[in-house]
Parts: sequence; structure tokens; C-alpha cells
Amino acid sequence: MEWVIANMAPLMFGAMVIFLLFGYPVAFALAANGIVFGLIGIELGLLQPALFQALPERIFGIMGNDTLLAIPFFTFMGLILERSGMAEDLLDTIGQLFGPMRGGLAYAVIFVGALLAATTGVVAASVISMGLISLPIMIRYGYDKRLACGVIAASGTLAQIIPPSLVLIIMADQLGRSVGDMYEGAMFPGLVLTGLYVGYVALMSMIKPASCPALPPEARTLHGLKLFVRVLTTMVPPLLLIFLVLGTIFLGIATPTEGGAMGAAGALIMALVRKRLDWKLLKQAMATTGKLSSFVVFILVGATVFGLVFRAVNGDLWVEHLLLSLPGGQVGFLIVVNIMVFLLAFFLDFFELSFIIVPLLAPVADKLGIDLVWFGVLLAVNMQTSFMHPPFGFALFYLRSVAPASVKTTEIYWGAVPFVCIQIIMVAIIIIFPDIVSYGDEAQREQARLEKEGKAPTVDLDSLMKQPEGDEASTEKEGDKEDEKDEDKSAADLLKNLQSESK
Amino acid sequence: MTLLLKLSQLIDLLNERVGKGAFWLVLLMTIISAGNASYRFIFNDSSNGLLEIQWYLFAAVFLLCSPYTLQKNEHVRIDVLSGKLSPRGLAVIDIIGTLFFLLPMVITVMWLSLPLVAESYKIQEYSANAGGLIRWPMKILLPIGFALLALQGVSELIRRIAFLQGLIADPNAKDAGPTAEEELAAAIAAAKAKEAK
Repeated sequence: MEWVIANMAPLMFGAMVIFLLFGYPVAFALAANGIVFGLIGIELGLLQPALFQALPERIFGIMGNDTLLAIPFFTFMGLILERSGMAEDLLDTIGQLFGPMRGGLAYAVIFVGALLAATTGVVAASVISMGLISLPIMIRYGYDKRLACGVIAASGTLAQIIPPSLVLIIMADQLGRSVGDMYEGAMFPGLVLTGLYVGYVALMSMIKPASCPALPPEARTLHGLKLFVRVLTTMVPPLLLIFLVLGTIFLGIATPTEGGAMGAAGALIMALVRKRLDWKLLKQAMATTGKLSSFVVFILVGATVFGLVFRAVNGDLWVEHLLLSLPGGQVGFLIVVNIMVFLLAFFLDFFELSFIIVPLLAPVADKLGIDLVWFGVLLAVNMQTSFMHPPFGFALFYLRSVAPASVKTTEIYWGAVPFVCIQIIMVAIIIIFPDIVSYGDEAQREQARLEKEGKAPTVDLDSLMKQPEGDEASTEKEGDKEDEKDEDKSAADLLKNLQSESK
Repeated sequence: MTLLLKLSQLIDLLNERVGKGAFWLVLLMTIISAGNASYRFIFNDSSNGLLEIQWYLFAAVFLLCSPYTLQKNEHVRIDVLSGKLSPRGLAVIDIIGTLFFLLPMVITVMWLSLPLVAESYKIQEYSANAGGLIRWPMKILLPIGFALLALQGVSELIRRIAFLQGLIADPNAKDAGPTAEEELAAAIAAAKAKEAK
């Protein structure tokens, strides 16, 4: 018994892994794990029976979370947009524009991928459109199938890192940072990553020209001025939407949540104008949005139940202790964390990673003096690979479902490998050149950093013990609304009392 | 068992209605938020009530859609190991999961939330924001949503036991309808075919 009490946190963590692998929906498996260990803790006298009282308050907190509200808006926007025909038009015209260049179709895919990423942010939609429109053309004109598949899968996943992406919203929520800062911070790295993809294609076109030949003139239906006008007209809707969403957010006119709603409204109007919107599509988009919101938020609910008990048995201290005892300080921590996330991404998708792993890592990163927005962008780039990992990556799965039968599944898998490597290089670039993640007011941030360093950069376990809930409350939400704060505080107070009693 | 299956169908129907009704709130929410933001740009004036109603709607969407999401088997699973199991094996996992994971958690949280909702109603708790809304209609969504979820759990349990007894087809089998991704693919392919003509 002594041993169990002393090792509650590792036991609970191990059990969580088993519960998740059991195969029942993650949300409920996580929550059940929390409840089971809460009951064991209460039985052993380690925890107070009143522990669970805090649960409903936590869930009320989730219900009033302004950040998460952006999830249904951006999802809804993406779903309407993917059926509006915008992606197809873009792929067609940009393909014709770049086609005559060696590797041109691949560049077009990357360019359109980035453009779609900045509007829709739905990986599946981008990959399906490109797989259906561009892949057959690429194959017909002699592209290497691996290269073609890899470019398509990777460009589709740009939706994960280029704002407005869901993973950045969730990351902001879990790290307790603003979505606006997160978007701003991710913008430039997203573009650099796009540049790396372009660089890879350029490299291939030089060392293996046969892998990405130029399109013959007869493959183009548009020429000269006509093509130029077509390009301009097809570029207008996505650029308008990008301004409507990202522009208003970056200029500070709209909050990210409002930006999402504006984007959704804009997408609805655009689909109406293009006569692509009917009741069936609308209903379908609403249904998918509703179901997605519900399963995402329920993972958060499950993670909240788990987190409440895990903290109560001092699991957060255990994790912190483990990670802080790593050699190499900041760098050692970053390397280990990134390897861990990279490996976990083979099995978990980014919802699970962000809700389960990030809350455990964030306080440690903060103590090590790591900027949390930067940390979030780094993890987002890393998690992007989870879409490309053979054989479970979703992007590969969707590409397989639409690729012509002549493309072998192994060709899709091998095609993704170089891009997974590029992803790792990008993670390294962000660690080596941290300044490429820039956001907000530089001077203000520097001030904050100095203040923090002036205070106490060393880790003081005693002070951690006293107020782990404070940290948690702040990572749970932005808390800029008065009553949210109150609710949070009361939940945190309640928990604090419980914990001090249990000690 | 036939009686239980009737009950299961009834629950499924109820949650389908509730879920499909709640889907419309997504559209409502979008219109309110976009409208509120535009109004603020133009008149430089905003209302906390309109902001808060979005939270209420969001809460309604995820809580009331969740039973239907469970019914459609769309809550995320990690099927690295279980993916290799037979339909019967999966049904056993779901039965164990429903009994020991879903129901205890859902009932615990629902039970604990009731006094808080009652208290909020009794003191007519309002949001602390100026022009904020009364709180209990939001808070009551939690026990309602979780109660519906528990009901759906019962229905899932009945269907899986019936399946193991050979009474009904595999409840985990994908619905006959195409997924959203398949429909997207079909739409693009159709547009392409039309263009080629």
C-alpha cells in the first residue's frame, strides 16, 4: 500500500496509456481513468472525498470558454468553403500558370496548399481536392508518383500550421496564451516551411529532372492575357477571405472568434454567389461541425477530469521532476519533448496530444523560461507530422482514397518520408533560430522576459507545491472576462483547499 | 430483449432529434457572432449579452450533439490495438467501456452538477458582465446533456448485447451513407466529368 501511495502518479499515468489503448472513445477513457484513480486516492486517504465537487465547475468553465468558441466557426467555414469549388479553380489556373516550368505543377500544389491553408484549414479537403485535380495531371505528364504524392500530402497539412488552424486555437487555449499571438507567431514559420517544400521540389528538379517535367504547351487551355485575367479573378475570393479573417485579427479589429464567424459568413456568401450552396450541403456542414465540436470538447472534458485527479496526486510535480532532471536544461528538455511528441504522433492525433500532453509540458516549459507562444508553434510544427506519418497519417489516408489505382500505397508512404524529414528540419530551425516566431510587441515581451528572469528562474519545488492550481487556471483559458475569472478562482480555491487538506 | 431493443430505438430517435435540432444552433451562432462583430465595427458598440449568448449556444451544441455523436460512433478512439479485433471483439470492448468508462463518469458529473444548477436558479444568478445573461439556462444544459448521454450509453449497451446474441447487425459497422470526405470527392469528380464533356 505504501508503495501504491508513493507511486500514485506514475501508476495513474501508466493506467491512462492502457485505458486509451483499450480502444474505447478517448474522452470517456480519460475521464474514467480520472474517476478510478480519484476513488482509489480517496479510499487510501490520499485525497479528500470532496475532490470531485470541482468537476462541474470545471465543465461550466469550458462551456463559457471564448477561445474554444472559435473551433465551430473555423470548422464550419472550412466545410462550406471546401464545397464552394474555390480549391478546384485555384488548382486549375495556378497549375496552368506554373505548369510550363520544370516542377511547375508541384509548385502550384504547394502554393495553392498554402493559400487554402490560410482560408479553410481543413487538411482532408485540401488533400482530396489536390488528389483529384492535380495528381492525375501530374501522373499523366510523367511526374514521379512518390514526389507527386508527397507534395500533395505535405501541402495539405500546411493547413495545420498556417493560421487560422484549429491546432493553434487549442494550443493557445491550453497554453493560456491569446489565439491572436499564436496566429501571428505561426505565420512566418508556416511560410518558411512552405519555402522548404518549394526548395525540395527545386532540388529534385535539378538532380532528377525526370521526376517533375514541365508541362508541354498543348496541356494548357489558357494563354497570355486570358490566363493572366483568370489567375487574377480566381485569386480574389481567397485573398478576400484571408483578409476578412486573418487581416481583421492581425489588425486587431476582430477577435479570433469573431474572425472565424466572419469567415464562416463570408464563405456562406461566396458559396451562395457561386450557386454551390443548397440545403443538403448546409445541413451536412452544420452536422459535421456539431459532431466535431462535440467530440473535441469532450476530449477536453475527459482530459479535465484526468487532470484534476492527476494534479491532486501530484502528477504534475512528478512530470515536472522527470523533465527538469533531464540533462541539458532548456535544450535537453526541448529535444526530449520533441522526440516524444514525434513518436506519440504516430498513434495520437493532435486533439489528444494537445489536451493530454501539452498541459503537462507547459508549466515545465514556463519554468525553464521558454516562451509559451514559441513553444506552442514548435509543437504545432511537430504535430503536423502526425498527418504524414506512414501508415496512419490522415493525409496519406485521404490521398489513398482518391488517388488513381495506378498509384501504389507504398508510393504514397515513401513519398511522404522526405517531407517528414523536412518537418524535422523545420523543428530544428525553430529551435536554433527562435526569433522566426515573432508576435506582439517586441519591447513589451522583452520587458516581461527580463522581469521574469529577475524574479526567480530557478525552480523552487516548495512554491510549486503551494500553487499548482494557479498555473492550471491560467492555462485553462484566457480569463479576460470578469465572471470567468471568478468562476475559475472559486474552482481553484476549492481545489487548493482540498489539496492543502489532503497533504 | 425485444422490449429493450424498442427502448434503444426510442433513445436513438430522441437523441437523433435533439442532435439534429442542435446542429442548427451552429448556423445561429455564426450569424449572431458575425452580426455582432459587424455591428461593432460600424457603430463601435457591443453587447455582452450577445457575446454570452454565443457561449450558451456553443455549450448547447457540444452537449446536445454529444449523444448523437456517440450514436454515430464518431467520438475519437485510438484503435491501434483494437482495430485488429473482430466485430464481436469490438462489441465486447464497447460493452465494457460503456459500463465502466462512460456511465460512471457521466452519471457522477451529472449528479454533482445538480445542486449547482439548483443553487444558480434559486439565487437567480446573473453573469458578472454588464448586460450579462442569467446563468441557470446555461448551467442546466450540463445535466441535460449528460443525462441524454447516459441514455445513449444505455442504448449502445442494449444494441451491442443484442448483436452478441445475434439479434441485430453489427452496430459498429459504418452507416451506409457516404462520409463527408467521400461526398466532397464525389462532388469534385462530378464537376470534373462535366467539364471534360
